[in-house]
Amino acid sequence: MNTCADCKFYLPVDVFKGMCKLSKQDILPDDSFCDKAEKIAKCKFCTKYTAEKDFLGKCMSTTLAYPDMNAASCADFEWISQN
Amino acid sequence: MSNTGKNPADFKDCPAESINYYGNKPSQQVEDREKGRKPTPRANKARELYFSAKSSTSMEFPYWYTRRWEELDGEIPVIRRAESLKAGFEHLTPVIYPGELLSMGKASYLRSSYPMPWLSEAFFMASEDKLYQEALESGKLTADTFTTVGKGGGNVTKSAGKVISIAGKFGLRLEEMPVMLEVAKKWKDRSVDDIGHKYEQMVPGYKEKEAIMRSVICMFDSGYTLPQGREVMNYYYPLQYGIDGIIRICEEGINEVAGYPEMDRLYFYKAVIIMLRGIKSWIRNYAEEARFLASVEKEEQQKAEYLEMAGILDHISSDPPRNFHEALQMLWTFHVAVLNEDAISGLSPGRVGQVLFPFWKRDMDKGIIDRAKTIELLECMRIKFTEIDCFASMGVVGGVLSGNTFNNLALGGLTKDGISAANELEMLILETGISCETPQPTLSVLYDEKLPEEFLLKGIECTKAGAGYPAWVNNQVAMEFLLNNYGHEGMQLEEARAWAIGGCLESSPGSWMPLNLDGEIYWIPGGSAPATSVGVHFISLPKVLETVIFDGVDMRTGERIFPSHGYKLETYDELWQGFRDYFSRAVHVLTLTNNIQHDAWRKISPSLVNSMLKPDCLEKGRDLGQMGARFNTTFNIESCGNTTLVNSLASMKKNIYDDKNFSLEDYRKAILDNFGYHTAQETGSYSLVDQKPAEHFTEYRKIHRQSLDAPKFGNDDLYVDAIFKQWEDWFCEMTHNYRSLYDQPMYACQISVSTHGPMGAVTLASPDGRLSGTTFSDGSVSAYPGTDKHGPYALFNSATCWNHSQSQNSQLNMKIHPSVVRGREGSRKFLELIRSYMRKGGFHVQFNIVDSRMLKEAQADPDKFRSLLVRVAGFTQYWVELGKQIQDEVIARTEYEEL
Repeated sequence: MNTCADCKFYLPVDVFKGMCKLSKQDILPDDSFCDKAEKIAKCKFCTKYTAEKDFLGKCMSTTLAYPDMNAASCADFEWISQN
Repeated sequence: MSNTGKNPADFKDCPAESINYYGNKPSQQVEDREKGRKPTPRANKARELYFSAKSSTSMEFPYWYTRRWEELDGEIPVIRRAESLKAGFEHLTPVIYPGELLSMGKASYLRSSYPMPWLSEAFFMASEDKLYQEALESGKLTADTFTTVGKGGGNVTKSAGKVISIAGKFGLRLEEMPVMLEVAKKWKDRSVDDIGHKYEQMVPGYKEKEAIMRSVICMFDSGYTLPQGREVMNYYYPLQYGIDGIIRICEEGINEVAGYPEMDRLYFYKAVIIMLRGIKSWIRNYAEEARFLASVEKEEQQKAEYLEMAGILDHISSDPPRNFHEALQMLWTFHVAVLNEDAISGLSPGRVGQVLFPFWKRDMDKGIIDRAKTIELLECMRIKFTEIDCFASMGVVGGVLSGNTFNNLALGGLTKDGISAANELEMLILETGISCETPQPTLSVLYDEKLPEEFLLKGIECTKAGAGYPAWVNNQVAMEFLLNNYGHEGMQLEEARAWAIGGCLESSPGSWMPLNLDGEIYWIPGGSAPATSVGVHFISLPKVLETVIFDGVDMRTGERIFPSHGYKLETYDELWQGFRDYFSRAVHVLTLTNNIQHDAWRKISPSLVNSMLKPDCLEKGRDLGQMGARFNTTFNIESCGNTTLVNSLASMKKNIYDDKNFSLEDYRKAILDNFGYHTAQETGSYSLVDQKPAEHFTEYRKIHRQSLDAPKFGNDDLYVDAIFKQWEDWFCEMTHNYRSLYDQPMYACQISVSTHGPMGAVTLASPDGRLSGTTFSDGSVSAYPGTDKHGPYALFNSATCWNHSQSQNSQLNMKIHPSVVRGREGSRKFLELIRSYMRKGGFHVQFNIVDSRMLKEAQADPDKFRSLLVRVAGFTQYWVELGKQIQDEVIARTEYEEL
């Protein structure tokens, strides 16, 4: 299930909480997606990411990667098609 | 039984509680400080957000750094380093908070930091991990286990839910924990820590070094913990040339040096270009985020501010700033950029008001900016500096830094041609220090007789507000120190005037740089040396004395630290000689091992961002580790517990050798039995005031009483002051016998920061009557809490019994009751007090203007006092973020109720 931490409108304040860039309301990273939420590019949404174990995987089958890393500035990022 | 033959029962009329010192009797009511002013609504909102934020760490930068590092195996090391930094910068997620006028931060949280496993990886591994256990065995982590960190404020002291606590301070999301461990393991045997450790073992007597670390005679190694910092930034090149201009300088450098001897210059220029391209991407990612925020923003003013921010960032990503706002953003951006290349504390912005004055004056003249807008921007600057965190081990971040990062902004001093350098912008910086109280940047007035009264009184007004800044430092004493120690590198009087405080209190060299603005030259000051406080970091003087008394053994653990000194200690001279022998042994081995660690640092993790900024690295084509800076005599030897040592020596001299009240054996027994008291660890309090007697304390009543009554430093008493002077004269001189990595003589540095807490925690009772586990005296010329009984001027006489220009610094911390300095008359009295100390040759004095009972109240109910600031030892910190060791010590300090 996607959470606020996966949303492009999530502004992290610290590891416990953040705020919504749209509403400016305090939200938590583990809150569920609302109807305005949009996914942000993360490794776990990329075709080149392969999960291996909890919170770890591989990028392009070769390089260590982790699912929740922001990939917005990664040149190799490619959305998984259903997204 | 003592050697006087008297029975301890003779002292039965001496109640246990009277053995402790309490300082002066307080007035009836708890008094608050004089009310300051409020911050602008914008800054207030930002500060409230800061108060709600926890220290948070993330893995973006270290992940990309490590990934790129691995891809470039075999590349020229400095190029590999540059590419890794570039990868880190360009992948940082930008975060901009509503209302910000200055943007950019270390990483993707408000109080962000991240591990740098290329420096050291062991301390943040799980405690059962082999790497952690190895570090513990070598003594690297002993200080961690005796450090307390603050339980409140922004510290993440315990793991909870999906957040892991690291070093008792930093929170890490659970989903980033596995990658942190994996990345850390990639640096095993490759980090500065591990490589340095591999080679430091080749130093003869290395095992002694490990024993020294385990006993916490020395607090920490600087080469892989905080390899940079305690220095003054130089913002000249980006302000004058812009990033593209610096790239052009490097390209021209490449054309000049490619293929010629000293090829390292070629790689340096290329590395700077690569690193700067990473910084350009980082800035532009922020600009892009600002535009995105503007695109979804409904409120018109906020939308316009986002767009203005995007424009500023776009511009400074290539070109030099066009106005004050852009110059301030440029200054902040490069400040953060340096912080992102190493674990750094004490990266001081220096004389910001003088650096930015040309931009500000021009904007004022043109009507582009007014005082209200300036104050708003300067308050935003205070918030941004306060957001800085440094990811380090518990011993470093708690035991040394108390969670602080020591970004010291200096004011006043002299210009290049020797007249007062104070200006209108500095008056506004002081004003915002009052209106927007935050720990960072802390402020220091470079006091000189030429400074105008109006400026000094503004400084007094700020100090009285109670946030602990500005500290007052002696311009002439510092210049004398710098000329003495950097003269052989070519420093002349004119250049000595460009100095500032680096870190909490390290006198640091500067240079005047010719800023050309609209064809007019302004000579702006900036730092021109690398870290001025690396080397032998914090030797516990009372602990060294303890090993002398017990012939080389740490009696807390039973481990032999030094070989037997061979003295019977039958005379005071033998005792003093034994101390000098052990102290010198420790300095010798620590100097050599630290030189190796710093050599590993400059080879594996050379500075690029800071090097590019410091004159004359760009001109020479050399980084800081290759002595590219103008001045390089920057390694020092730091002491801790000066006054506790001297009071102990005075007590032994009087009670054993002069008056023969007790034998050395009496003292050994009393120390081992803690004068019949419970230890600080048992009582849970770390100041002498709150210690509790055990059942057999009467056995030690007399020796304890007479130890407490022995002459104490801080009372203008020649008996003990002569010992203090003897220590200072010897210490300051002996440091020059040791050579740094750069083959320069070292010098003395005397600040306690927070080390007097954990170092006191591992030290048994001392002959001055201090009890086991309690903190040492703070600073370097502060009296031990409660023992300065004859007023501030007597304290000043003691503190200036030696020449302060022999040392990089001295540190005097005082606590004054708010009622003493109230009103305009109080301000005048206060200024005269400071002036008097400066005229006596004192280097530094700083103040807590606070009622101790308020601190007690804050300790009991921290939630009510989230914003309470106190001065510790060279820095200001939120009360709730201080460890209990330091809280107890600050409470116990003598509180002056009259001047």
